[in-house]
Amino acid sequence: MNSKAWMTISLLVTCLVAAFALSEVYAVTKPKIEQQKIDATNSALGQVLATAQSFKEVEKESLWYGLDQSGAKTGIVVRSGLRGYGGPVPVLVGLDLAGRIVGIKVASPAEGLKETPGLGLKAMDERFWKQFLGADSTVALKKDGGTVDAISGATITSRAVARGVAQAIRKYSEHLKP
Amino acid sequence: MTAQRPSRLRYLTNGIIKENPVLILMIGLCPVLATSTSARDALGMSAAASFVLIFSNVVVSLVRKFVQPSIRIPIFIIIISTFVTIIDYVLQAYQPALYRMLGVFVPLIVVNCIILGRAEAFAYGHGVFDSFLDGLGNALGFTLALVILGSLREFFAVGTIFGKTLTPAWYRSAPMLFTIFPPGAFFIIGILKALAVRLKLGK
Repeated sequence: MNSKAWMTISLLVTCLVAAFALSEVYAVTKPKIEQQKIDATNSALGQVLATAQSFKEVEKESLWYGLDQSGAKTGIVVRSGLRGYGGPVPVLVGLDLAGRIVGIKVASPAEGLKETPGLGLKAMDERFWKQFLGADSTVALKKDGGTVDAISGATITSRAVARGVAQAIRKYSEHLKP
Repeated sequence: MTAQRPSRLRYLTNGIIKENPVLILMIGLCPVLATSTSARDALGMSAAASFVLIFSNVVVSLVRKFVQPSIRIPIFIIIISTFVTIIDYVLQAYQPALYRMLGVFVPLIVVNCIILGRAEAFAYGHGVFDSFLDGLGNALGFTLALVILGSLREFFAVGTIFGKTLTPAWYRSAPMLFTIFPPGAFFIIGILKALAVRLKLGK
């Protein structure tokens, strides 16, 4: 057989085998992958809005209504991601119907936080984010005229979280305030 | 090449110290430096790369008689990227936390020069079993270098190894943070390289 034909055939066969193997693996793992994504989102949402039984996505990956068993609204979860030092700082903020902050979760590095270990990463510490519970839309760092203590050495990260929280509260007023 | 046939065990041990892909040959450094910020990530990355390395070596060796030299590179790449995509799906499905942590470095295994290097330099010219041994040896060498580097960086910067606290509280309150940054990675890999060369020459 001439070499050109042989080249074509061997490449073709390689691609066919590879495509077949991949489609098999894809079919097996696809439901599992989708389930993992849903689980991860739901568990994060549940952490910031404990009163909700289920969540309804209103704006893609940025706004959810929390629903109780009967389907009534119990609150709202907003995801904001303002720019910190290394990239966006994803923050999930849970608000009840009165607009009080009932839960806050700063993403972990595995969920996309790119702040400096030992400095900006401390935004995940409870000591820092607890300061935001009960805050209103004027929330800001002490440096910016507010009441929140910034993480030492990580003003930019702290500011991204504070502004993200303020943004979430404004979103609440657009969506749930009567 | 076959004049004095080296024992097959050599294929396995070569990659561990004497021709350690990371510390002696200095190839595949990009994922090594990027994914070694903690011991756990380092181990996860090693496992993913090892899987691809061993299987691509075996498959390349299996098909080597049918592959003409002029199209060997595209065929190697198809084989390698198939295994990378498989490990990518599997990690997403069963180890989502690890998958998010490794991020772009999982798909980048396709262009990892250790893997293409072993396919080209070894598996294309050797039998299936020898290629398996070579892949395993290099995978162990890669894992060894990556996990040691990851452990040291985590130990100095955070005070833990595999998340286990190993240092007193006073150290963890003011650790040597710089080892977790890129310069720290270069610094430590330099020391490891010196040790590996020493070990190699000493033999």
